[in-house]
Amino acid sequence: MFDRDSAGVRIELRGLTKQYPGQPAPAVDNVTLDIPAGELVVFVGPSGCGKTTTMKMINRLVEPTSGEIRIGGEDVLNLHPDELRRHIGYAIQQVGLFPHLTVGENVALVPRLLGWPATKVDNRVEELLALVNLEPGVFRDRYPRQLSGGQQQRVGVARALAADPPVMLMDEPFGATDPITREHLQTEFAKLQKQLRKTIIFVTHDFEEAILLGDRIAVLRERSRIAQYDTPANILAAPADDYVAGFIGQDATLKRLALLTVEDIEPTEPFPSSNGLPRVDAGASLREALDAMVAHGSDRCATPTGVLTYSALCDAVGSNGAVTPKGVSAGDR
Amino acid sequence: MTFGEYVVSRWETLSLAAAEHALVVAIAIGIATVVGVGIGLLGFETPKLRAASLTLSAGILTVPSLALLTLLIPLTGLGWGPTLVALTAYAFLPIIRNTVTGLSGVDAATVEAGRGMGLSAARVLLKVRLPLAWPLILTGIRISAQMLIGIAAIAAYVDGPGLGTQIFEGLSRLGSVNSLNATLAGTLGIVIVAVLFDAFFFAVRQFTTPRGLRVRP
Repeated sequence: MFDRDSAGVRIELRGLTKQYPGQPAPAVDNVTLDIPAGELVVFVGPSGCGKTTTMKMINRLVEPTSGEIRIGGEDVLNLHPDELRRHIGYAIQQVGLFPHLTVGENVALVPRLLGWPATKVDNRVEELLALVNLEPGVFRDRYPRQLSGGQQQRVGVARALAADPPVMLMDEPFGATDPITREHLQTEFAKLQKQLRKTIIFVTHDFEEAILLGDRIAVLRERSRIAQYDTPANILAAPADDYVAGFIGQDATLKRLALLTVEDIEPTEPFPSSNGLPRVDAGASLREALDAMVAHGSDRCATPTGVLTYSALCDAVGSNGAVTPKGVSAGDR
Repeated sequence: MTFGEYVVSRWETLSLAAAEHALVVAIAIGIATVVGVGIGLLGFETPKLRAASLTLSAGILTVPSLALLTLLIPLTGLGWGPTLVALTAYAFLPIIRNTVTGLSGVDAATVEAGRGMGLSAARVLLKVRLPLAWPLILTGIRISAQMLIGIAAIAAYVDGPGLGTQIFEGLSRLGSVNSLNATLAGTLGIVIVAVLFDAFFFAVRQFTTPRGLRVRP
């Protein structure tokens, strides 16, 4: 199958359509999309737009009415659904851990189905729990009911990764947690994906989450029709239409600043003049740098390598060095 | 003769009757569990089969036990035959109902996760739904057993096994020697059998409920 290698493989959707019997319009209408190997693509759209249905056709939890799905060049519709699903990681919002099995047994399930030898399974469970920041010695033998919501979602991600699938489908996997835990899980997961380079389809209705995690974002309208499919930076800089712009919200420029870090742009002044200026870390985003400036009523702030000016921020997002706060709002749309 | 003296003097008869009472109930419950859980497993997702099995088993339960036992005589004769058939038939409703409710009550996300991971439909049913539904199914079996222990007493009318004989003998000779003692012995014996069954099911529940369902957060 397509997972001879655990690194991500390309996914191609061609004219994918789902028509439920008795419904006037298809739930998913003629979706064609290429997902490059090793990228995380976010499907973002309002509730009921068909994004989850589109995702579920890829592992055939929903059978397409017509169209073609290829993973790593292989025609998915020719494979046995159960066999196919064992090679695609799957994580959902409600997690759906098996309450009668321990955390370790939950994670070990698919590797055991695939007939891995016991020691290999044990090592893998240990490795994965450590990977999602759950101490294996503590959590391995616990039951799902003994875990917090955030811990359950970590186990859900570990379970989806268990057989080291090249492809993962994730349906709002961090949706059911409180905002602080969610942000924490998102940041951790972004780091994890940088190492793993799986091909991931990630469904959410949260555009912030899409920007944070996505290599590319597919903004979907009703019946899963693609309004725009591009990198977060390009979508923020040039939304295709009012629908996409509406999704982004009123602060597109701030969101673009959040995508860049102070390391991405050259400091404008040498280090020594930074005395008395607000300071930001090397890994801080430009949005945080702007926050520091505004908070201190200053038009510059100090980074570890030099001084960053307000006009450098404006240049970074292409708003032509506008220097008044008014200029920021003009560059918004 | 006091009640105590009566029990001592008839000990062999009474203990044999109690053992038979427990045995006939146990066999009926065994058969009804295998068949009932089987029907539940096959039918919980098939509305027609589920409705048919529930209606039929509920219908059986509305037939008075005395009438059912008598109607069975031409088919099964007297004694163990009609007793076993009637008791098994009465046991179905709680078992099928709780099996169906338990299996379909399993969290949809858990089932979806299982299917999404590549468990076959059969494996999801046997390895996920059944263990999670088991405590409820066991409750159904326990209710059936309690019900049958009472109904089994009526089987004395068709010469069936069990403690019912003591009760009916006592009642038919009311006022004569030992009639009250016999009725009392039969009744108390049934209570004891019922308590023992309940203790048994309590133990089974403790041993067979998956640990993950018993743990406290």
